[in-house]
Amino acid sequence: MLSIKNLHADIEGKPILKGVNLEIRTGEVHAIMGPNGSGKSTLANVLAGRDDYEVTSGSVEYRGMDLLDMEPEIRAREGVFLAFQYPVEIPGVTNMYLLKAAINSVRKHRGVEELDAREFLKLIKEKAAMVEMKQEFLYRSVNQGFSGGEKKRNEILQMALLEPHLSVLDETDSGLDIDALKIVAQGVNLLRSEQRSMVLVTHYQRLLDYIVPDYVHVLAGGRIIRSGGKELALELEQKGYGWVEDQAAA
Amino acid sequence: MTEITQHYLDQFNAASAGLAGRGLPWLDDQRQAAIELFARSGFPGQYEEDWRYTPLKPVIGKLLHIKVDNDIADTDISDYLVAGLDAYRLVFVDGRFSPQYSDTSGLQDCIVMNSFEQSVARNPELFTETMRSEVPLSNGFAALNVAFSTDGYVIEVAENVKLDKPVEIIFIAVNSDLATQPRNIVHMGKFSQAVIIERYVSSKQTGAVVNSTSRISLDEGARLGYYLVQTQANDASQISSVDVNQGKSSWFGCYTLTLGGQLVRNNLRVSLQAEGAHCDMLGLYNTGGKQHVDNHTTVVHAAPHCTSRELYKGVLDQRSRGVFHGRIKVEQGAQKTDASQSNNNLLLSPNAEVDTKPQLEIYADDVKCAHGATIGQIDQNSLFYLRSRGIDEKDARALLTFAFLNEVLDEIELEPLKQSMESILAERLIADE
Ligand SMILES: Nc1ncnc2c1ncn2[C@@H]1O[C@H](COP(=O)(O)OP(=O)(O)O)[C@@H](O)[C@H]1O
Ligand SMILES: [Mg+2]
Repeated sequence: MLSIKNLHADIEGKPILKGVNLEIRTGEVHAIMGPNGSGKSTLANVLAGRDDYEVTSGSVEYRGMDLLDMEPEIRAREGVFLAFQYPVEIPGVTNMYLLKAAINSVRKHRGVEELDAREFLKLIKEKAAMVEMKQEFLYRSVNQGFSGGEKKRNEILQMALLEPHLSVLDETDSGLDIDALKIVAQGVNLLRSEQRSMVLVTHYQRLLDYIVPDYVHVLAGGRIIRSGGKELALELEQKGYGWVEDQAAA
Repeated sequence: MTEITQHYLDQFNAASAGLAGRGLPWLDDQRQAAIELFARSGFPGQYEEDWRYTPLKPVIGKLLHIKVDNDIADTDISDYLVAGLDAYRLVFVDGRFSPQYSDTSGLQDCIVMNSFEQSVARNPELFTETMRSEVPLSNGFAALNVAFSTDGYVIEVAENVKLDKPVEIIFIAVNSDLATQPRNIVHMGKFSQAVIIERYVSSKQTGAVVNSTSRISLDEGARLGYYLVQTQANDASQISSVDVNQGKSSWFGCYTLTLGGQLVRNNLRVSLQAEGAHCDMLGLYNTGGKQHVDNHTTVVHAAPHCTSRELYKGVLDQRSRGVFHGRIKVEQGAQKTDASQSNNNLLLSPNAEVDTKPQLEIYADDVKCAHGATIGQIDQNSLFYLRSRGIDEKDARALLTFAFLNEVLDEIELEPLKQSMESILAERLIADE
């Protein structure tokens, strides 16, 4: 599904990613953990195609394609989805409009017929119910006046609607109370399948109680310094990031 | 006196004998006074603060060609209609009232006049009564308008009358390089209600210039929605002067929608003259190429307990330029005034430019006055967010631009007009580059 090799990326001339290597096969769920400022969001955004970040070397292959060569919208249509750490508020654009434009651009790209108003409404109601989002939120401006938890649920709603092959969830758990966390986790678990892969970026292992990953990686100082199974998350929880950082430095 | 001023005087002397309404003493006097004022003041120059940002040379050059004959050019009116808009309609082609394209049948309790010639022939007393009150000659353009105008619409809505449909007035420029001088008058009787849509359009490549004045008055409790819609081709120009006097507890909703024109200068002046009057002044402009749109607005709070709200939003692309100058004047004694003004601009290109300037003159002490102006660009975070959802860059930009303008678009209460504005905008925003 995704093969990241020796990825280096700068922001404003400052190196952030310093040689990331990661292999994700179809159907796998990977967690990426790490201290604040270690480059987790940078990695997520580079995958989604944000051009504030300059990739200086390395390669990313996604389903046989050169991901770095694709515009962000093409990546989305090819099935890459980023749930943002800080979803943007867009006054004046209704959630409904965005969702419809998004699904239809993806469908068009895949050569499937676009949904008409009624089909779309039926689908979106179903998905909104899944993340327990009240319908009124669909008619509001994108994320405007949403609480932190509502914004994150809106990200999951978009993900559920677009049915991506590769989802990257950037700290979708942070700032959520336990109920909201369960709703988000349930949304993710419903989407989890043999055909899809996921990357969960998280600071805490709490999320991993609800979404059990196949692999856990620790990103620190712009590199993956340690990888393991789900038990690594627990170990990190007990010993802190200092523990792996010390080991890596040693 | 400059050569150009002299030229207009010569034109006036040559044409005045043939102008419709000639021989009505008060009208002759009005015209004479106007041309004399013009001879003294000429056109405003860029050295004047109010005209600083707006290069008038191209317009002044074009104004040389004043239409004095009465021919009406053949035109396909359907090119200029707003789809789905059900309205009484008055059409002026190259400044001349064109009955064959107009339809006001069924319009009751409302006096409508169009050309001076017909109005004088039908009812000279009424014409005199309506037109006699002087148009404020605030600058050379307005003076020239009064001196030369022979056509324009006059709408007089009687007391307590509520018009069942909007009245749409379309000014179409068809022939090349013509200057027209519509002089319009609206009077709303006590507690009357109406919607008036004044539209300026042109066929391509006319280089036409319109120099219009619209004088509007509202008696107690009257309500008027007034749309000034400018969608002429990008080689046409317009100087408009809209002057409004509001009576007690009246409401005036003004929508200035400017999507066309090479050079457009709108002078809007609203005077709140009795207690409880309220006005909403909405503006929207979208420019590209080398278009230049200049909105000069003045709201005068002359009485206590009046409110005014002003919101102008502009989107500027390529090398176009926008000017917004918003004056709020609160006169002595106009206590409990509540006035707000904001002007927000979105620049789509590094070469586009905006000058925005609020000007507050407050001579009363118990007032609320808020104003703000912004100039910004498309938000990169929002753009990336939309693209990351599969929306291509061009559409995402258009969407964000619409979102920016939505605040004003949403206030257009005539759905067909709103849709027509949206489709013009969509075409521009998506076709551009
Ligand atoms: N827009 C930016 N401009 C400058 N530095 C940035 C910007 N965004 C992130 N950084 C820096 O890049 C580093 C990595 O940030 P980030 O990827 O957000 O970390 P994480 O998500 O792991 O907390 C940090 O040192 C941060 O300060
Ligand atoms: Mg982060």
